[in-house]
Amino acid sequence: MITRRAAAQLFATTAVTAALGAAGAAPARAADKVVKIGVDLSLTGADAQGATRQKDAIQMAFDAANQGSAVPGYQFEVLWLDDGTATAGQYDPAQAATNARKMVSDPAVVGALGPEMSGAGKAMTPILSQGGLATITQSSTNPDITNPKFAAQYRPAGKPIYFRTVTTDAYQGPNMANFYAETLKVKSVYILDDSGAFGVGVADTFEAEVKKKGVNVVGRDRLDPKAADYTAILTKIKSLNPDAMYFGGVTEAGVKLAKQAYDIVPKMIKGGPDGVTSSDFLSGGGFPAVEGWYTSIAAPHLTDDTKAETFVKSFKGQFGIAPDDYCITAYDASLVMIDAVKRVAATGKPVTRQEVQAALMTAKVPTIQGTVSFDANGDLADRTVSVFQITKDASKPLDDVAAQYKYLQVAPQS
Amino acid sequence: MTFTDLMVQQTINGLSLGAMYALLALGFTLVYGILELINFSHFNVFMIGSFVAMWTLQMFGLSGQDVILAGLPLAGVLLVAFAVTMVFCGGLGVVIERVTLRPLRNVKGPAAMITSIGVSYILFNLILLGVGADSKNFPNPLPTIRYQIGGAVLDFRVILIWVIALLLMGALYFFVQRSRLGKAMRATAQDAEAARMMGVEVDKVIMMAFFLGSALAGAGGLIFGLYYNFTSFIIGFTAGLRAFTAAVLGGIGNVPGAMVGGVLIGLIEALAPDSIAWLLSKIGIVVSGPYAWTDVIIFSILVLVLVFKPSGLFGRVAPNKS
Repeated sequence: MITRRAAAQLFATTAVTAALGAAGAAPARAADKVVKIGVDLSLTGADAQGATRQKDAIQMAFDAANQGSAVPGYQFEVLWLDDGTATAGQYDPAQAATNARKMVSDPAVVGALGPEMSGAGKAMTPILSQGGLATITQSSTNPDITNPKFAAQYRPAGKPIYFRTVTTDAYQGPNMANFYAETLKVKSVYILDDSGAFGVGVADTFEAEVKKKGVNVVGRDRLDPKAADYTAILTKIKSLNPDAMYFGGVTEAGVKLAKQAYDIVPKMIKGGPDGVTSSDFLSGGGFPAVEGWYTSIAAPHLTDDTKAETFVKSFKGQFGIAPDDYCITAYDASLVMIDAVKRVAATGKPVTRQEVQAALMTAKVPTIQGTVSFDANGDLADRTVSVFQITKDASKPLDDVAAQYKYLQVAPQS
Repeated sequence: MTFTDLMVQQTINGLSLGAMYALLALGFTLVYGILELINFSHFNVFMIGSFVAMWTLQMFGLSGQDVILAGLPLAGVLLVAFAVTMVFCGGLGVVIERVTLRPLRNVKGPAAMITSIGVSYILFNLILLGVGADSKNFPNPLPTIRYQIGGAVLDFRVILIWVIALLLMGALYFFVQRSRLGKAMRATAQDAEAARMMGVEVDKVIMMAFFLGSALAGAGGLIFGLYYNFTSFIIGFTAGLRAFTAAVLGGIGNVPGAMVGGVLIGLIEALAPDSIAWLLSKIGIVVSGPYAWTDVIIFSILVLVLVFKPSGLFGRVAPNKS
């Protein structure tokens, strides 16, 4: 029989083990200083699966850094924040702003990673800028955030604080437009967006470039991501009969669009940005609806690359699922952040937000995607956009990004 | 596709949407007619209905759109799915009434309405936390059979949805008009106090209103899944709000009003953006993306109707105050 005390002891031991397990790493040595890194992802809502994988990748990087004492005398602690809310059903800019305030108000937080979504990034940057806290985003691509033209809005305190390990929609939209015009030989296109900051932005840049290429833009409209019905607008598109359709946006509207478009305009060429390059899009949209979609990512394709072999293998081993390319950019972002802290610590100065930001400006870090360095605004020097097509591989899990998205090529630069 | 084809197709789309809104609007109207309560938990009873329907279909081994049935097996599966979903949702409605709303029945003010909002959020979060936030691929065993009407396409499943919705609404109408319990419902709606004096069991009548309304919402949830091939924890809000608008447009508390209101809202949603853009283009105003304005159009029409006819198109029905 278990006595009450024995039960209490058992409970206490379990709790301690669980706490240690949650920390995921060797416990910090007493002498080590702790630096906190705030991470904002969209862990609730339509993009949760992708976000969870990025979280895993970031966790891997910091676990390895702590275990291997990547920065002697320092231990990393990650402050996880979720900007997805139930009422939004996806990322929620208001929640992202709240999260940014949480990071800024914690003096131990010296650097940040994320956000996943540009709509969140736009809400966070004014707060991060005032707090002097630099972040590295692994997947948010809206170009306005780092554009000096909008500095008053997104970096009111002056210094660049938004760094990226992906390129921006200043390239993702136009390069995909080039792919439509040059490779797919599209003559007319209908453009949709999902009313989000990211979706509108990428659709705008796509539109400007296809027009330049002489493609006839037969229409442009906006989807409400919370509405269920897109049949009316798809019927309208069918009546205009363009060669192709381009959707700027993320999963929540994307899966419904894919399903209904498959019914109404099954033969039309369809495509979208990295917002629909995810396992959420595959599982929510489902085959055959998503089959044939052309999608892009704002990074080189790496998961099949030999450079990423060890990462892919250990990711699979640890989480039982294949990583996608934005897991790699998330891992790379973590490496860049760890490197910045390391370089500050090596000078003997205290690790502060200001020093970390300065270190990021001069970063030259070997990562999986190659050497990461930033331009004067925090944008990635490399501007590769990769194009995929969803092609069913029934032998693999149907929501496995690496298996179901067939890599086609690097999108043509303008 | 000519302009006529486009309009025919949009009418087909709008009628399908309208059928769903009508089924959902009836639940608001039945309850309002008797209790003068706007029951916000109805939004998410509909959403839960679509999940129960999905699980029921999955129990038959259906997944995604891979398994297609025809003939008797199809009819059998659909019958069972509708029965399970409607009974479950009806029961859920009764439980919500009994547990959360009956204790507040004689409380004046917005307490009951706020409670129903609370229940709505509880249901919403139960599904969100229980099954996750991603869109679910709804199993659909219906074969793809298409009929051409000029350039427009009429899908077999659309016809099926119309027929089922019509049957359910017809059954409800006859129940309310002809059956004993229906008569008791109408009596309670007119004057609960007097009905009670005449020996009507008011509690039973209210339960019945919740059961019927929620069962129809469940059927609406199943139809939603079959029509769109997806469901998600969030579908209750937009559909619920539009259906509620439909009930108000038709005259809240009024059963035929809710049906017509639902179909009207569906038709407006499908037809109005393009028609208005077309009219504006005649006077030289070019709207590049009229569908982004859908909600503005729907609610402007609602406001216009209510300004000139405050009790809705068919007249509001509410309990007499004694």
